[in-house]
Amino acid sequence: MPELFDRAFQYFIAPAGSDERGDGTAARPFQSLERAAALIVDNHRKELPAVKVLSGGDEVELVCLERPGFGSPLRKQPRFRYFVAPDEVALAGDGTEAAPWPDLESAMAGVLQIHAGRQLRAGDRIQLTRREVFTAGIIERRKVAVDRLAKVVLAAVTAGLVLPLLAILSYLFTKAWPVLSWRFLIENPQNYMTAGGIWAPLVGTLYLVAISLAIAAPIGVLAGVYLNEYAGDNWLTRLVNLAVVNLAGVPSIVHALFGVGAFVLFAGFGRSVMAASATLAIMTLPVIITSTREALAAVPQSFREACWNMGASRWQTIRTIVLPNSIGGILTGVILQVSRAAGETAPILFTGAVFYVAVPDRGLASIFPYSLNDRCMALSYHLFTISTQVTGVSEALQYGTAVVLFGLVLMVNLVSITVRVYLRSRKRW
Amino acid sequence: MSHSMKRTLSVISESLVEWAIRICGWSAILFVFAIFFFVFREAVPVLFTQLDLREFFTSVNWRPDSRIRPQFGILALLAGTASVTILAMVISVPAGFAAAIYLSEFCGRKPRETLKIVIEFLAAIPSVVWGFIGYMVLNPIIIWATGAPIGINILNGAIILALMSVPIIMSVGEDALKAVPDGYREAAVALGASRWQIVYKVLLPAAKNGLLAAALLGVGRAVGETMAVLMATGHSVQIPHSFLDPVRTLTATIAAELGEAVEGGTHYRVLFVIGSLLMIISLVVNLTADLVVKGIRGKQNA
Repeated sequence: MPELFDRAFQYFIAPAGSDERGDGTAARPFQSLERAAALIVDNHRKELPAVKVLSGGDEVELVCLERPGFGSPLRKQPRFRYFVAPDEVALAGDGTEAAPWPDLESAMAGVLQIHAGRQLRAGDRIQLTRREVFTAGIIERRKVAVDRLAKVVLAAVTAGLVLPLLAILSYLFTKAWPVLSWRFLIENPQNYMTAGGIWAPLVGTLYLVAISLAIAAPIGVLAGVYLNEYAGDNWLTRLVNLAVVNLAGVPSIVHALFGVGAFVLFAGFGRSVMAASATLAIMTLPVIITSTREALAAVPQSFREACWNMGASRWQTIRTIVLPNSIGGILTGVILQVSRAAGETAPILFTGAVFYVAVPDRGLASIFPYSLNDRCMALSYHLFTISTQVTGVSEALQYGTAVVLFGLVLMVNLVSITVRVYLRSRKRW
Repeated sequence: MSHSMKRTLSVISESLVEWAIRICGWSAILFVFAIFFFVFREAVPVLFTQLDLREFFTSVNWRPDSRIRPQFGILALLAGTASVTILAMVISVPAGFAAAIYLSEFCGRKPRETLKIVIEFLAAIPSVVWGFIGYMVLNPIIIWATGAPIGINILNGAIILALMSVPIIMSVGEDALKAVPDGYREAAVALGASRWQIVYKVLLPAAKNGLLAAALLGVGRAVGETMAVLMATGHSVQIPHSFLDPVRTLTATIAAELGEAVEGGTHYRVLFVIGSLLMIISLVVNLTADLVVKGIRGKQNA
């Protein structure tokens, strides 16, 4: 008669203090493993033929007691776990999950062999289970373990990149805290830059950013329009794209040299706000070009086709359909340009930034202290000079300048991200 | 104004706008050539006359200010750039790839968005602030940890450069992984592969070109970086013997000396020669990266 239910059989063994005629119950445990093996096989052969091969979820467990009738706390997992796989064509197994034994008899023989000469301790359990066809095999389990390990390691590396930096940045902030105030921003550097605030360099940076933006934004946006709307798939377009990639990859110090050669000397600007801004503009152009191109590419082609079908020209389509639908992406690029331009130091080193300029403290002249032909201070260069060139500057002043520069860039980026998220949430296609 | 005149006007203005767009589009090419032209123009007068090119590349003596005999050997500067860049890449390429794989394959959508924003912020930190961190924060930490007499050295510069180039390596690498068609992943899942097996056996081989390009762009960024290495790697012109030696890189040399060099003098022009060299290096790196990426696109289209 076939078994309808899975059964778990539990037998007991107590090497110390049980008599030879134990039958495997808790009160009369087996005395030795040999006897246990023989009786278990015998028992299952005689009474429950199905169990002989361990079918379904059947399980045979051998529990080691301290003394007859006295259990000890069981481990959660059996200490020894072996497998039987009756349905499979198996040769001599060794009881592991990968190579199970074919039936109960060989299983018990195997257990004897494994445990020969090894004393079972109280609380140990030997469990024989059927290897389920669909349970995870050892290979499968190793796979999952490796997977988990990989995930943990990768996450740790990622966290290892991000967390120390956040720690450093907050350290900068705490060191800068004593000087951070409104007055720090609006006061000029004093006493050979060892005291006072950062107004002159801050205004200089705003100048450079504004003028470079005025140069780079129109050229960059139009170039992006050209690349996405006008350029065909030909060598010229490939060349333009290559030029954009290379322009972005040119080292900043080479941009500085270019600025010296082209704007300071050749164009005759001299070292001035104008020359520095122009250098920054060329340097940051790729940011605007690529983001404009991507923003335009995100406008579905069907919008354009619908417009062309109404008889609109190419430029009319761009002006009325493409640009309004991509203005957010373009704006993101423009804002990113601002953040790049505000932080750059190398390109303005020899084209217009100056160590120190006396700037009026009050009045209109303090808001517009530089003309296009003047050299100016800049926040990034100021940070470089007060931390490496000038002696006697207090740490708080140095950290304060770093935090303001970094905070400025961060804020600009935050605006860019907010614009992007907002526009994505309103996207209609 | 008659209707036809209005029409003519609008046609004219439209063609003007279109030409403006074309010219701006082509201007990128113009700018790249202009950069070449103007940097070379300042360099050429010494390039084939006063400057002994063999000495330039093989001598370790960089003595531009010497009254008796100025020497312009950049071998030590090249060694400085190479050592800082290589160490930086040893740190940042595996870390950047690991982060890219984590973000693109293992991470949920919400944490991914957050992490990407954080990393975007990291990419935005100005290089002079990085230099400041190296100079003020990392310097004492390195002295404390290694016992080196001075903490402004190759290791410091390399750590800073690694952190600076991780964002670009990561974002380009993630793009490369994302560019692998989902069909590859689905086929692997159907064969019973785990996530890590998909990454290891399917995605990495399939995205290897994009990942190579990511590493190359990281190298480009590290070689060209100026302010951070100027502040964090020290100022001694020497062939380094250990990671704790201070060195001077090509970029830092230009930044440190151009202000003092006499305009039009030999020293000044030699700095432009170094600039041209940097320009050529970055061009080669970027073109290679571009070709490598084009390589995958070509294959996918076919």
